[in-house]
Amino acid sequence: MPLDFNQVGQQIKRMGGDLRQTANQHDQLVTTAWTNLEQESPRWEHWARHAEENYLRSPWLLAAPAEPITNRYRLPKFAPHYCLAAVDGSQIDLDRHWAVECFLINLGLVTIQYGQQPYSKLHSVPALHYNDQELLLRDKDGRSYKMAGALVHAERDTREGIALASLAQEILATSTAPLVAMQDGTLIRWSLSGLDPWVRSHFLQRYLDEGLAALRAADVPTCSYISHPKAPEVTGIARLIAKPTLNSASKAEGIIDPYPGINDTKLFGNGWLGDGERSALFKSLSKINVEEYGEHAIYFFYLNVGAELARIELPEWVAQRPEWVDLIHAVAYDQAHRGGGYPVALARAHEQAVVRESDRRVFRQMIEQALWHARLSNGSSLKQDAKSQVRV
Amino acid sequence: MQEQRIGEVIEASSTQWTTGAYELLNAPPFGSLIKAGCYDNDLCVYGLVYDIRTGSRDLGGKAMVRGGRRYDGSEFYDDQIYSEHPDLAAVLQTEWSALVIGYERAGRIIHYLPPQPPTVHYSVHLCDDNTVHRFTQHCDFFRMVLHANLPIVDELLGTAIRNAAELQANRREYELYAGRELARLLRDDYDRLRVLVRMLTS
Repeated sequence: MPLDFNQVGQQIKRMGGDLRQTANQHDQLVTTAWTNLEQESPRWEHWARHAEENYLRSPWLLAAPAEPITNRYRLPKFAPHYCLAAVDGSQIDLDRHWAVECFLINLGLVTIQYGQQPYSKLHSVPALHYNDQELLLRDKDGRSYKMAGALVHAERDTREGIALASLAQEILATSTAPLVAMQDGTLIRWSLSGLDPWVRSHFLQRYLDEGLAALRAADVPTCSYISHPKAPEVTGIARLIAKPTLNSASKAEGIIDPYPGINDTKLFGNGWLGDGERSALFKSLSKINVEEYGEHAIYFFYLNVGAELARIELPEWVAQRPEWVDLIHAVAYDQAHRGGGYPVALARAHEQAVVRESDRRVFRQMIEQALWHARLSNGSSLKQDAKSQVRV
Repeated sequence: MQEQRIGEVIEASSTQWTTGAYELLNAPPFGSLIKAGCYDNDLCVYGLVYDIRTGSRDLGGKAMVRGGRRYDGSEFYDDQIYSEHPDLAAVLQTEWSALVIGYERAGRIIHYLPPQPPTVHYSVHLCDDNTVHRFTQHCDFFRMVLHANLPIVDELLGTAIRNAAELQANRREYELYAGRELARLLRDDYDRLRVLVRMLTS
C-alpha cells in the first residue's frame, strides 16, 4: 500500500507547530544580523578583504561585498524594448537496467523580443549519446569515468552555457534590440565541486571557454535567475562580523553558528528591499568560484520581484558595467512580472527542455524498437520490467 | 489563382478532420469550404469548417488572464496582450474541425465520403470562390451534413448554403433549388426545415 496519510497527517501537524516556533526564533536572529550588517556597512571594504582572506578557513560560505553592504537600488527607468535569450536543459540519464547504455540531453532554447517588432522563437535540441567515446571520459593517464549520474548532469550544465552563447550570437546577427542572455539556476557549478579534479576541469573549462568567454567576446550582458534561493553567503558576512577571528569556529571547539537556520532569503526577507528594488552586489566566495572562475568570477544581487526574492548572478565582466547591471535588474523584474512571478523566458525554456515521464516511456519504446529492427536482443533487466508494472 | 494554404491536418477520420492553423487566431469563418490533401496525390477531401477554437498547444495547458495593469501603471488589453507576450504565438494554437462532405478525384467532384481520410500533416487550403461555386452546383452534400452527428448541423448547412448562394449569378434561383432539396430531405421534420428555410431567407 502507498503512503499512510493518517500517520503522515499527524506528523505534518506536529511539523507545522515546530516550524512556527523556529520562525519566531529566526525573526529575532535576522533582526540582530541585519543590525550588525547595517552598522558595518560603511566598512564594507574591510569585510570584503577579511572575507577573501578567510574564505578557506571559514566554516560558513562567505561573500565579499562589492559596495556598502546595505546599499539598495530602485527599479531603473526602463522602456521594455529588449531581446532575451534563455536556455534550460534536462536529461535522460544512463540506466544500467536498460537494454542499451545511452543518455540523452535535451536543451530548450528560447528567444523573445519585446517592444518594437515583438517575436518569439521556441525550440528544443535533443542529443543522444551511445557510443564508447561518448559514454566514457578518459584522462591523459588512461583513467576512465562513466558518463552517468553527476557527470551527465555536469555535461548538461556545460551544454546549457555553450548553447546560450551560440543562441546569443545568432540573435546578434539578426536583431538590434538590447540583448540579455539568461540561464535558469546558478552560474556557479557547485555540482562539480565534489568531482575528481580532472573531471571538474574537463567540464568547467569548456563551460568557461565556450560559454561565458564566448558571451563576453560577443559583448552580451549575461545573468542567471535563481527562484527561491537558499544561499547563505551574505548571512556569512554577518556571521563573520559576529565571529571575526573565526576562533570559536575552529573544529576543536565545535562550530558555533551565531545565526543558525538563517540564509540570505530570510535575511533580505525583512522588508529591506521594496518591490522592484535590488540589493548591493556581492562576489561569491565559494571555493570553485574563487579558484577556478578567474575573470568570470560570479557576483550576485538579490531582487524583490514582488512575488518573491530572487537571486541574480552575473560574471565579473558584467558586474563591472553599471549600465548592464541596471539592464539586468530591469529585465529580470520585467520578466518575472510577465511570467506571473517567474521569468517567462525561463519558463518557456523549461517547457521546451523538460522530458516528462510519458516522453521517457516513448523514448524507451523507440530504443527497444530500434534494437528489434537491428535484430539485437532487447536485454532490459527483469528488475526494470518489474518496476514498470504492478503485478496482481 | 493559387488557393490559400491555411494550416495542416493534425487529426483525421473518414467523416471529419482537425486542422492546426499556421497563424494564431487566423481561422476561416464558420461554414467555409476547405480542402485537405492526401498521400494519394489524385485525391483531395472537402469539408465545412465548424468548432473553431484556440488554446494551449500543451496538453493540459490553460490560458490565463494576462491583461490589466502593468507594474509601471499603464494598462493593456486585447491585441496589446499579444504584443506584450510574443511567446503566446508559440504556445497557443488555433485549430478547427471540418465535416467531410465530399472529395475530388481527377478533376471530378463527388459528394460522398472519400475512400481515404485526409492525411495527417498534409496541407489544408481555403477554397476560392471558383471552387466553392463548382462544389456547390449540386446539393447532394446536404444529406451528409444533415445526417452528421453534430449539434450544429443546421447552422452549418444554412451558412454553407448562404455562402454558395452569394456566388451564384442568380441567387434567388439557387435558394429555391436548395430549398426544394431541403424540403425533400426534411419532409418528416417540419420544425428543422422551417428553421433552415428561415436562415436562408433572413
